[in-house]
Amino acid sequence: MQALLLAVAVTGATSLGFVGHAKNRLLSGAPVGFGGAAEMSGAVAPVLLVAASGLVLAVVPVLRRPASYWLVPPAAGGVIAGLSWIAGRCADAFAASSPAMARTSLGAGYWLVVACALLAVADAAGRLRLRALPALLAGAVAVLPLAVLIAAGATDQLSIMREYVGQRAAFLAALLRHAELVVSAIIPAALIGIPLGIAAHRRERTARIVFPALNIVQTIPSLALFGLLLAPLSRLAEAVPTLGRIGIGGVGPAPAVIALVLYALLPIVRNTAAGLASVPAGVREAARAMGMSRRQALWQVEAPLALPLVLAGVRIAAVQAVGLASVAALIGAGGLGAIMFQGLFADALDLVLLGAVPVVLLAIVVDGLMKALAAASQPAPA
Amino acid sequence: MTGAPMQGWSSPAPAPAPAAGGTRGRATTNRGAPLSRRFLLGASLGAAVWTARAAAAAPLRVGSKLDIESALLGQMMVLTLAARGVPTADRLRLGTTRIVRAALLAGEIDLYPEYTGNGAFFFRRDSDPVWKNPLAGYQRVRDLDRPNGIVWLRPADATNAWAIAVRGSVAAANGLATMADFARWVGQGGTVRLAASAEFVQSPAALPAFETTYGFKLRDEQLLVLAGGETSAMLRAAAEGISSINAAMAYTTDGAIDALSLVVMQDAEAAQIAFEPAPVIRVEALAQYPDVPAILAAVFGSLDVGVLRALNEKIQVEGQSVAQVAQDYLAAKGLAG
Repeated sequence: MQALLLAVAVTGATSLGFVGHAKNRLLSGAPVGFGGAAEMSGAVAPVLLVAASGLVLAVVPVLRRPASYWLVPPAAGGVIAGLSWIAGRCADAFAASSPAMARTSLGAGYWLVVACALLAVADAAGRLRLRALPALLAGAVAVLPLAVLIAAGATDQLSIMREYVGQRAAFLAALLRHAELVVSAIIPAALIGIPLGIAAHRRERTARIVFPALNIVQTIPSLALFGLLLAPLSRLAEAVPTLGRIGIGGVGPAPAVIALVLYALLPIVRNTAAGLASVPAGVREAARAMGMSRRQALWQVEAPLALPLVLAGVRIAAVQAVGLASVAALIGAGGLGAIMFQGLFADALDLVLLGAVPVVLLAIVVDGLMKALAAASQPAPA
Repeated sequence: MTGAPMQGWSSPAPAPAPAAGGTRGRATTNRGAPLSRRFLLGASLGAAVWTARAAAAAPLRVGSKLDIESALLGQMMVLTLAARGVPTADRLRLGTTRIVRAALLAGEIDLYPEYTGNGAFFFRRDSDPVWKNPLAGYQRVRDLDRPNGIVWLRPADATNAWAIAVRGSVAAANGLATMADFARWVGQGGTVRLAASAEFVQSPAALPAFETTYGFKLRDEQLLVLAGGETSAMLRAAAEGISSINAAMAYTTDGAIDALSLVVMQDAEAAQIAFEPAPVIRVEALAQYPDVPAILAAVFGSLDVGVLRALNEKIQVEGQSVAQVAQDYLAAKGLAG
């Protein structure tokens, strides 16, 4: 796996454009290869950093010692930081010699190598049998050097950072709003979905109604769902002014959250029912035979055994909601989608990335945290 | 890849009996409870903040569509009104035309910038020639919307009409400057390939109106039809020759046209609907804030096609923020500090 990633990364770095340079942010950049960019950057340190870290990544699989995989996260961090440093210096060099409107953007080669480095970290975490939280920390080690570079201003002339400067005021608010949308959708979805899943597990008739209904909801395009919610929510807010005053109406966060809750229900309900169904009949009977009531058997025996699957459902729903919340910008709910759509409307690709990359990172973090929560809620595995 | 061996590897603890699992589970539920209670507390605090914000004297809720020019005009309205002491609530970049219009009709917003020519589509009258005349079109949409409780204020003298833009080098080589030139070029078998939205190709008011007025006809293989009316990708395709495209639909105030070295074909015979931006306001909101028409007339009266295109260019090409561009323009005009 590591060798394959290395091969892909090296091929990509040598054959694809590493950075692109364009006269303005609307035009596609003329590609500059890795060699050319390294030459332009005019510094040896970042090139050495990439070479040394790359060498470590190449040697690790050859060592055939599991512990050597501990070297992968810092080495991947070195590759990512080194490449970003080169790209940043290259952008500085371009900026010094071109008009203010010109842009230097990261090219396909850069993104490919970064993706390979992150996959190598994920692979190493798997080989080291890291649990969710340590795996997340390994990922953090890989991006930490880049964060330091960004904070130090080494990447300021790259196009994506110039877009960030234009959006600085809006960016943090968008990020927080995005998280807010996800949290305020997942909590009610879990509060509704888990009891619904229990009910569906206990009564065949409930299951026969609930699952087809949720399946249908899942197939409605989100934009159509917003449109469907607009009129009834407006009328509701008009009829009950208190609701209007707390911000519930046909546009804004309310329809977005409702749509996200509806989409989140299916994985939660299905996994809750599946989790309860996975409890062996013998265990259930033993609990009843010990004199437990049905309620006691559910909460003290079945629920703990079903919990991993239930939490997996919540995790899937949360990751899905992180992605779906991007569309909420289309109904005035804000979030990172607002930045993405702004970029799409201006055809400014780096502005799209400025919205999209944090969504991806947020999804990874939510996934890791939910896995950690699931692990913490479990007794040590048998 | 990791699932099964992971569990086998780290299993020093003995398998818990079901009963032990039960207590463990109960502990989990207990541990979970304060967490979710804290979340709920946070949520209700958030709701309380919202309540407090909304309870302060009903401000004018200003919306806009998602595109750059709409956001810019909306931002200008917010800043000018605020400078003149009218309380506003920012609902900019609310959604697509359909959603913003529905929000206005439903009373979710009070005010937003809309184009007079869109009356042709709101009222399904896009074959009516009245929309081609800016003044007559404005009067028509104003009259049609009155029963809806919607008031159209004075539009800017800046027609943001549909147009065809051709790659600069192609236009120069073939001597193309007007739609009549374009029609001649197509008629002589010019290798045109036009990127356009489905609406532009199909609406009788758009491409078909060009074709009948100037006497040409594009074949299906000369068209690349894209979903949605957002022209930026089409313009770039025309500029860079992606999929051998050399012409694209454009809006006449688009700020990207010059930066992409495209040439807009002049519509000398006014084949197209005139789209002039105007503030549209709910009649109830107007009654509450009767000064709004005079305040906004100063802003919209100062705009023309050149000014709008230059402002759009600052945002699209230079990457300045909408708020910054609006602020700078209003300050330069003395309309807002």
